[in-house]
Amino acid sequence: MKATTMSELRMPTLNRVLLSGRLTRDPELKFTAGGTAVCNFSLAVNRRYKDQGGQWRDETTFINVVTWHKAAETVNKFLHKGSPVIVEGRLESRSWETEAGQKRSVIEVRADQVRFLEKSESSPDDAPPEQPE
Amino acid sequence: MTELRLAELNRVFLVGRLTRDPEVRQTTAGTPVANFTIAVNRRYKNAAGDWKDETTFVGIVAWQKLAELCKQYLAKGRAVLVEGKLQSRSWETEDGQKRSMLEVRADRVEFLDRGDSRPGADAGPAADAADAPAAPSPGAPPVDDDLPF
Repeated sequence: MKATTMSELRMPTLNRVLLSGRLTRDPELKFTAGGTAVCNFSLAVNRRYKDQGGQWRDETTFINVVTWHKAAETVNKFLHKGSPVIVEGRLESRSWETEAGQKRSVIEVRADQVRFLEKSESSPDDAPPEQPE
Repeated sequence: MTELRLAELNRVFLVGRLTRDPEVRQTTAGTPVANFTIAVNRRYKNAAGDWKDETTFVGIVAWQKLAELCKQYLAKGRAVLVEGKLQSRSWETEDGQKRSMLEVRADRVEFLDRGDSRPGADAGPAADAADAPAAPSPGAPPVDDDLPF
């Protein structure tokens, strides 16, 4: 490749999310019509900060996470309400129509890595990465 | 071995283009706040081996100095790298329903278009300092109805 002049760049693809938190409820495992495992769970992500008066405050953000394939089954098997995890993935939007015909859309995290932080003799420390679709 | 506490981790990195001009307002306390939406693209091969594009629209909020820089240098179609954290914003609809959505609170917005007169904007440490409200304050402007969410 010639490097005599600065080349034009193309738009990079970048969509990365890293979160730590605890499950707000037990994960829900479902299967698509094609038999693919999908697991949804909600994560409470905490942030502790000092307010203007110098008091420590907690701010919690609830984030929906979706995992697919083998990872979905592993998450469902080993995680439960309160489990601490680190999630790595990307933001995705999901759209649907309400019964009244309104369009709605939410942002959720599609995880490609879910790390289990709870000490336990039976669980692996990690859900395997998702398989390609 | 001591017990560990759960590490705090909430970090988002996105590259995308603004879907419209940023809206910049001031809270009642006079703090500038900028809102915009970026379209984040992903190209992937489907099961048949064809390349497909998938677009995710993400709402971004920037405060203070960073909000002013966004107002000054960004417009619809501009490319940005955004670094920040996920936060939820709640509001009530006109008919009293509670809604909430996730958005990214930007700590850093880098302007990627070459023609920009300024190479980048950084909120710097001040954006996380005590004078930065942790969440939209009571005086913060309401959510737009035209957000694609």
